Amino acid sequence: MQTVEKILLDFNPELKNLLPALKRIGAGFGYVGEKEAQKVADYFSVPLSKVFETASFYDLVKIKKQPSLLIQICSGSNCATKNAYRVICEIETQLHIKAGDDFNSKAKLEVISCLGQCGNGPVMIVNGNVFTKVTPDSVDDILRNYI
Amino acid sequence: MKKEIKIITKNWGQINPQKIEDYLAVGGYQALQKFVQSLTPQSALEEIKTSGLCGRGGAGFPTGLKLESVQKETSKEKYFICNLDESEPGAYKDRSIVDGDPHMLLEGIIISSLIVGARKAYIYINGNYQKQAEILQRAVEQARDKNFLGENILDSKYNLEIEIFAGAGAYICGEETALINSIEGKRGEPRLRPPFPTQVGLFGQPTAVNNAETSTNIPWIIMNGGAAYAGIGSKKSPGTKLFILDGAVENPGVVEAPLGISLEDLIEKYAGGIQKGKEFWFAQIGGSSGRLALQEDLKIKMEYDREAKIPLGSGAILVVDKTVDIHEILLSWTGFFRRESCGKCVPCREGTFRLWEIAKRLQDGEISERDVSAIRDILWTLNSTTFCPFGKFAATAFSDALQNFSKEIYKLSK
Repeated sequence: MQTVEKILLDFNPELKNLLPALKRIGAGFGYVGEKEAQKVADYFSVPLSKVFETASFYDLVKIKKQPSLLIQICSGSNCATKNAYRVICEIETQLHIKAGDDFNSKAKLEVISCLGQCGNGPVMIVNGNVFTKVTPDSVDDILRNYI
Repeated sequence: MKKEIKIITKNWGQINPQKIEDYLAVGGYQALQKFVQSLTPQSALEEIKTSGLCGRGGAGFPTGLKLESVQKETSKEKYFICNLDESEPGAYKDRSIVDGDPHMLLEGIIISSLIVGARKAYIYINGNYQKQAEILQRAVEQARDKNFLGENILDSKYNLEIEIFAGAGAYICGEETALINSIEGKRGEPRLRPPFPTQVGLFGQPTAVNNAETSTNIPWIIMNGGAAYAGIGSKKSPGTKLFILDGAVENPGVVEAPLGISLEDLIEKYAGGIQKGKEFWFAQIGGSSGRLALQEDLKIKMEYDREAKIPLGSGAILVVDKTVDIHEILLSWTGFFRRESCGKCVPCREGTFRLWEIAKRLQDGEISERDVSAIRDILWTLNSTTFCPFGKFAATAFSDALQNFSKEIYKLSK
């Protein structure tokens, strides 16, 4: 079984490995909670606050448990000119959630920054799966597989 | 159309990016051999200085000067970092370089590292570019097998190791001091300068941070000489540049064009013109932090120039047509800067947030007198008082839009 200890053993306890280790733990467990962070802090011989200081800064390291349905949508200016905001509106209406809200424990809609896929915008990521050229009409079909 | 000079894109689509043999077959790594066998770090640096190559990440700082200031440091440990943390909305040129020809980039990084005297180089790649990180990892291993990397490169006295460091989704880490903090396991917040990274950089040692596209130009300069490079494109900033054209154009994508080309030519000749049935409104040059070019600016030259009215930035060009709602673009810009502000300094953290709130109110049609006067204050504060240029970037496009399209912005559609 995968444990935090096993993951940590892949890294030398040097500070340059802190962020890669946090990313790997986040990928394995969904997020880096206080228990995990304490183990990281012990392994790297730094205070717990230092681990959270780094972990809380980066988008790709989550420090809270994530909902079972995580929808991320790019709102970069290129996607915005291709109706990304209308797609966001459509998802908000369909799922009865607001972009950026943390209140719903089952579903979350997150507006994110550019993914470098501008030619294929708007880009949407549902639980890690990337969908390109999304339109307000295609939202329903995509989400159906996840609800 | 006359034959265009291609430096960076010449192998794209012609070779298999995963195979070092393909790159060797088209003359790859000959620049490295030439450097090792017949050049010294000093003479190679002279070539780069002659070439007039300047940083392709956005600021346009002369590459030769940056490398020189690291080269003349006497410290034993030095580092070279290739900045591939491309996260400007609308820019994906560096990703395309890795997809098209990773070994040319790698060769450039190796030569640059040897010039400054670094024995360790990092490639800081955007955390979302997982596939590209794998391509680079494979390329590094192939290069090591051929002894282009490692100890005694090509039987010389040079040693170099390259490590790939993936970021974790923070735009500000493209700023070089923030990038260095990030590798050191800290929050990716910018540092105070001076001291500049060229003196006190990664782990306190002299560090050169160069953009991936800048590094990709190096092999060509070593092979063909700095003078030949200086003859291409514009006088102020020679060479070719990758432009990313997107929005209301027929053929969106990455193109290589000589610097000094006009915006009009780029759109017409390289992107197939404006989409049928659409009308040019404005273009944003350089991603979300870029300025706006209107109809009358179409003749403007695309080059790196400190006095330029419209800075080139990363080379991303978004063409906007008249069907687009300006409120959505404002919301996109302000939302981006609110999310990506690192929070180190108050004017930026608060300013970007308030600007975003106002953009939301503008879209909902609930703007008040107080907001209108606040916009001016916020823009001034962002432009003049933030710790790093991020605040200035956040204000640039918004100010431009306000200046030119105030009628559309204050016309409350809903």
